[in-house]
Amino acid sequence: MTTTLPRPAMPSAPVAPADGHAIEAVDLVRTYHTHLGVLRRRKIEVPAVRGISFAVRPGELFGLLGPNGAGKTTTIKMLITLLLPTSGTARVMGYDVVRDTTEVRKRIGYVFGGDRGLYDRVSALDNLRYFAELYGVDPDVQRTRIGALLEMVGLTGREKEKVEGYSRGMRQRLHIARGLLHDPEVVFLDEPSIGLDPVGARELRQTVQSLVDAGKTVLLTTHYMFEADALCDRIAVINAGRIVALGTGSDLKGAIANRTIVEIETFGVTDEAVGRLRADPEVGAVNTEERDQSQILLVQSERGAHITQRLLGLLGETRIGKVVAREPTLEDAYVHLIATTGDDEARAARAASVQ
Amino acid sequence: MSASRVIRLVWFVTWFNVRMLLASEFFILTTFISPLIFATLAFFLFQSGGGTAGQTLLYVALGAGMMGVWSTTLFGCGGAIAWQRWEGTLELLVSAPSRYDFILVGQTFGAVVLGFYGIVATLAWGVLLFGMPIEATFPLVLPLSLLAAIVSLGSLGMLIATTFVLYRHANALGNLLEYPIWLITGLLVPISVLPLWIKPISYLLAPTWGMEAIRGATIGAEPPLLAIAMCFILACAYYVAARYTLVFVLDKARRDATLALQ
Repeated sequence: MTTTLPRPAMPSAPVAPADGHAIEAVDLVRTYHTHLGVLRRRKIEVPAVRGISFAVRPGELFGLLGPNGAGKTTTIKMLITLLLPTSGTARVMGYDVVRDTTEVRKRIGYVFGGDRGLYDRVSALDNLRYFAELYGVDPDVQRTRIGALLEMVGLTGREKEKVEGYSRGMRQRLHIARGLLHDPEVVFLDEPSIGLDPVGARELRQTVQSLVDAGKTVLLTTHYMFEADALCDRIAVINAGRIVALGTGSDLKGAIANRTIVEIETFGVTDEAVGRLRADPEVGAVNTEERDQSQILLVQSERGAHITQRLLGLLGETRIGKVVAREPTLEDAYVHLIATTGDDEARAARAASVQ
Repeated sequence: MSASRVIRLVWFVTWFNVRMLLASEFFILTTFISPLIFATLAFFLFQSGGGTAGQTLLYVALGAGMMGVWSTTLFGCGGAIAWQRWEGTLELLVSAPSRYDFILVGQTFGAVVLGFYGIVATLAWGVLLFGMPIEATFPLVLPLSLLAAIVSLGSLGMLIATTFVLYRHANALGNLLEYPIWLITGLLVPISVLPLWIKPISYLLAPTWGMEAIRGATIGAEPPLLAIAMCFILACAYYVAARYTLVFVLDKARRDATLALQ
């Protein structure tokens, strides 16, 4: 797959907005309303985004990193004019996302992950032609642009096949081609690598990088730490509807630079044993990863490798395999941030909102 | 948007919607078979009631064909939106820079184009199997009456489809509207046999005028010019109503976050 991005002549939009930010969100809040119960229906408010502020520079690749349900997609949908904020403001290329929807839509491309968002029963070429019309692409440039985009995403030669026969990776690449049809200045990528195999994910990251090389501003949401670390100029970690950290990958790692990560391979570890680790005042955070026959405990501590014996003592009779002490990665920083922020507050806010 | 851009957009959406609908086996079954079934029922009911082949049979057959066209239109307009919601493309259409009402018009035209098949198929079915003569009082006006009748059904389908954007279960309501529209617009029985209080509603519905245009061209005493004009006037009024309904509906959908719900 090539990584050459087509640069056809495009809109008369400003290269950079007057305020210098391609994307700007100020105190964005979004609350959903839903009902519980059948006979005695209760209306509840679910806060999805609770006061998010950030700004993205033109040409920057900005990452929103967070677990499922953190508010990433809701934030993106407000920025691309599909959802109205409950309060707060947001601007894209200087245009307000609530008032200037048409101007915003002309300047943005939106790509989401997963199988949906394409017309399965027609070919990829028909999909691209259709969306090119909807996006107002000049008929004179449609053919060359579609050809260039198919080349860019590696679908040349397969474009006349029905989309229903495409693999997930091919569909994802077609999504990207669709999102770039009108040569948008700002591209929103909402978990674009979800469900892709490692090769497909790597190709996709190359494509994303090529967008930035071509001068696009990219806002990428993901819950893959290595993806954010490899691609993004800056990363905002979002948890329970709030930004809990914002900076470069190095900045985020720096937050736990004084910590050591002890990886303990266990077999049949109990919740009680993990609870004893978490309760220990010398332990910063504990994350558990399930493997085939074992569980890997990732224990953060400021005590360095010296804490290892103490940890093994707390695990009691648990069968232990390999034990390794190492430097923290971005993933460890992320786990620390998610473990120490948001959840209790989110639960409290949700409980309090039941009317 | 310039006029040429709008025309191109509507044409392209029409073409695409026709292709999408023809790619659906269920739609093909509905579109291609149901007008023939309705026409067959009408022929036998007409014969068992003592009717003889002639202009009245043509009128009855076309009425039956229109019932099939209405089924096609409801599926093609409203069903398409429900399908787009399920496929995840509705959000992309709504968030495209093009105005959504033009997209909806194109989708409606797509359904209307295929609906036109229903009329042609009904005529061919009647001629080949039941020996129905293509005789009309005003044969030159008949094609225009048929066009007006199909436009009337399409425009009503478009107006109803606007609500499908807002509610994921609105498609069920749309299905419920299939039979009442047959009844109160004169597709199934003449509206002269309906209770008096229903008639004002009937005359606000464009298909009533569409059926009147067909009746006038086949067995009427005068060319149905008023009925034809009313079809197009009401179709324009429905478009304006649909456009302003969409402004409200899309705002509410953004407020209530219903576009992505399946």
